[in-house]
Amino acid sequence: MDQAIYLATLVGTALVLAAAFSSLIAFRFGAPLLLLFLAIGLATGQDGLGIQFDNAPVAYFVGSLALAVILFDSGFGTPVNVLRQAGLPALTLATVGVAITAVVFGVAAHYLTHFSWLESFLLGATVASTDAAAVFFLLRAGNINLRERVRSTLEIESGSNDPIAIFLTLTLVEIIAIGVNPEAQLLFTDLVVGFFVTMGLGAAVGMLGGFAIARLVDWLNLDRGLTPIFVLTLSLLVFAAAGAIGGSGFLAVYLAGMVAGNSDIRGAAALKRFQGGMSWLAQIIMFLVLGLFATPSQFPGLLLGAITLGLFLIFIARPLAVWLCLKPFRLPSAEVAFISWVGLRGAVSILLAITPLLAGLEHGRLIFNTAFIIVLVSLFVQGWTVGPLARRLGLIVPHRAGPIEKVELELPGSAHHELLSYRVVPGSPVLRGERLPRWARPSLVVRNGGSMKFPDFGKLMAGDRVYIFVHDRYPALLDRLFTSRVDVDPEDAEFFGAFAVDPDRPASDLEAAYEPGLTEAEQKMTIGELFLSRFGGHVEYADRLNLGPIELIVRDMDEKGKITAIGLSFEPTQPQPLVPENLRERLRALFGRGDGTMSSRVSDEA
Amino acid sequence: MGFGRSGRERILGMDLSDLIEVQAIMPALKANSKKQLLQLLAERAAAITGLPEREVFDTILQRERLGSTGVGNGIAIPHGKLPGVKSITGVFARLETPVEFESLDDQPVDLVFLLLAPEGAGADHLKALSRIARVLRDPDTVAKIRGTRDAAAIHALLSDTQTSHAA
Repeated sequence: MDQAIYLATLVGTALVLAAAFSSLIAFRFGAPLLLLFLAIGLATGQDGLGIQFDNAPVAYFVGSLALAVILFDSGFGTPVNVLRQAGLPALTLATVGVAITAVVFGVAAHYLTHFSWLESFLLGATVASTDAAAVFFLLRAGNINLRERVRSTLEIESGSNDPIAIFLTLTLVEIIAIGVNPEAQLLFTDLVVGFFVTMGLGAAVGMLGGFAIARLVDWLNLDRGLTPIFVLTLSLLVFAAAGAIGGSGFLAVYLAGMVAGNSDIRGAAALKRFQGGMSWLAQIIMFLVLGLFATPSQFPGLLLGAITLGLFLIFIARPLAVWLCLKPFRLPSAEVAFISWVGLRGAVSILLAITPLLAGLEHGRLIFNTAFIIVLVSLFVQGWTVGPLARRLGLIVPHRAGPIEKVELELPGSAHHELLSYRVVPGSPVLRGERLPRWARPSLVVRNGGSMKFPDFGKLMAGDRVYIFVHDRYPALLDRLFTSRVDVDPEDAEFFGAFAVDPDRPASDLEAAYEPGLTEAEQKMTIGELFLSRFGGHVEYADRLNLGPIELIVRDMDEKGKITAIGLSFEPTQPQPLVPENLRERLRALFGRGDGTMSSRVSDEA
Repeated sequence: MGFGRSGRERILGMDLSDLIEVQAIMPALKANSKKQLLQLLAERAAAITGLPEREVFDTILQRERLGSTGVGNGIAIPHGKLPGVKSITGVFARLETPVEFESLDDQPVDLVFLLLAPEGAGADHLKALSRIARVLRDPDTVAKIRGTRDAAAIHALLSDTQTSHAA
């Protein structure tokens, strides 16, 4: 018995270590890391080194728990203000988008494979949700600073679409397992009613749970080392409780994370670090287990069909769903194109594909294998191209500030202050004569190994390390003062526009100079106000406003969100069309009149 | 924003010879201030187009109020629309000593391309401005212009930047 334990642990740890090491390689080459984990699982599985693992219930159980951990972490790290900005488009994608993807894909699957209609839709449901964990890893690895709205939309979508795909899959599995062929209408009512009950219960338990987690952490004042474990356990409790009463555990745990993470929870930084680590571990374990569980020797026969389906999903089903869902929000077509492309499928799809096996469906193995290949196709094709595409579409915000050397220390017992430590770097504004605000007076300066107090240190010098106690609202401003200057890349110069425009000048001046076609009312505003009004009152750094022949770009904002500098470009970004022009025409004919928001932005250079 | 870069260059071209003539180039101008610089440019533009100097000066000054046309790296591209201009007309000055121009990067300016366009030139005007900005973004071209006091040489550099830019 002992020997078995040692052996299992040995194999398990070796696998996790191999995966962890492979992350180094992935960071180097920008390869989709999750593909690597999956590959390690496959390579050591029964068709590779020969580890026998064919236990569907265990694979599903482990995968579900891992997913719960990941979802809690991703909810915890999603700030609520992001919801305001991207919530509606993202939630539309996560609900309607998932349904459209599943249905469109299901129709194709029915004609391309031998699956029945229900089985085809089941396959569609398993691959309908996106796995953005993979994407964000890629973006981070490539040091890609994505535009905020795009990032938020993708983040919220990926966090919230899993529960819906899970719900669809489980319902379809049940229906097929019962074996009767239900009437379409009955099926539809069943789905809709079931949807609201499951999601409603999940949401209720999740919100309550998140609130409870935050309060408990505050009340109990546990040992600092224990708190993260406590929170992790509570999150799994929320997951289980919601599931036990018939709600969506996955939605519950995601929402619980979001509520807890946004509620000034004690020790948030430590919790984030811990959960980040757990999230990694969960990803690794989930992919390893799923890789081990698959049997590639069964693939060859269905390879062609599955790859075709994978490509159909990437090039038709997902873009169509995204385009339909985002149409009402009038996002720039570059953003729509990017969001379409970042429909990476991942562990959740494979996990869901196990459920037909669990239910003992006739074609369960076949469904699992097909879904598995589709995920591989997606990780290969999309995983490798996300970074370059973002660059091509101009969605990357160039870094305007150099690195800062900063350490944040959380203060025990303090509600709203933190201790920041910066190293004064050459070329930073503080050295170029910018004054530190009164509230940011350094409490201590370490210079040449000696420590000095105010006012003994006099003027700050390069190489000084300063310690500042500051209210937690202000660090962003301080970062600016301590950041080193970067030279703007020529390409970046274009990103922010070659010319400058004063946001406080009247917009009528702009009309006089360039005839962008402003309305009478708009000409009475300042240029800054014009920007705000066209953006519905909320503008962020690097936002672009297309005004016919010219384009305005937010170059800088102050900490209160007021635009302080605007760039002017005469080469409005004209992203290339997402789908071939004639196909778009046909689609438009199919779905009635287009209002031209997409077509008017299509490049005439393309 | 790397997309379509080569395509855009193919369409826009990197050749400014249609915008500027040799006699519109001032290869060693001396000016003490932004205002004086704009006045000297307006003077030369007036001589070429036959328009009143004052009108040209007011037009470009009006545009400067909207925000400096100093694009950084010592380069400025003042511009404006005038009813009396027959075609898009450029004037170029290389300054002996740089003057303060309120540029974004706070660097004083020593290379100035003034562009005047007829009322209603619309897109052509803006495309010409992008082309100028693009040509003057090429470090090679700019270094060579700074290194010469010969109007014809500067004109040649502005006209033929394809080879240097392709590198």
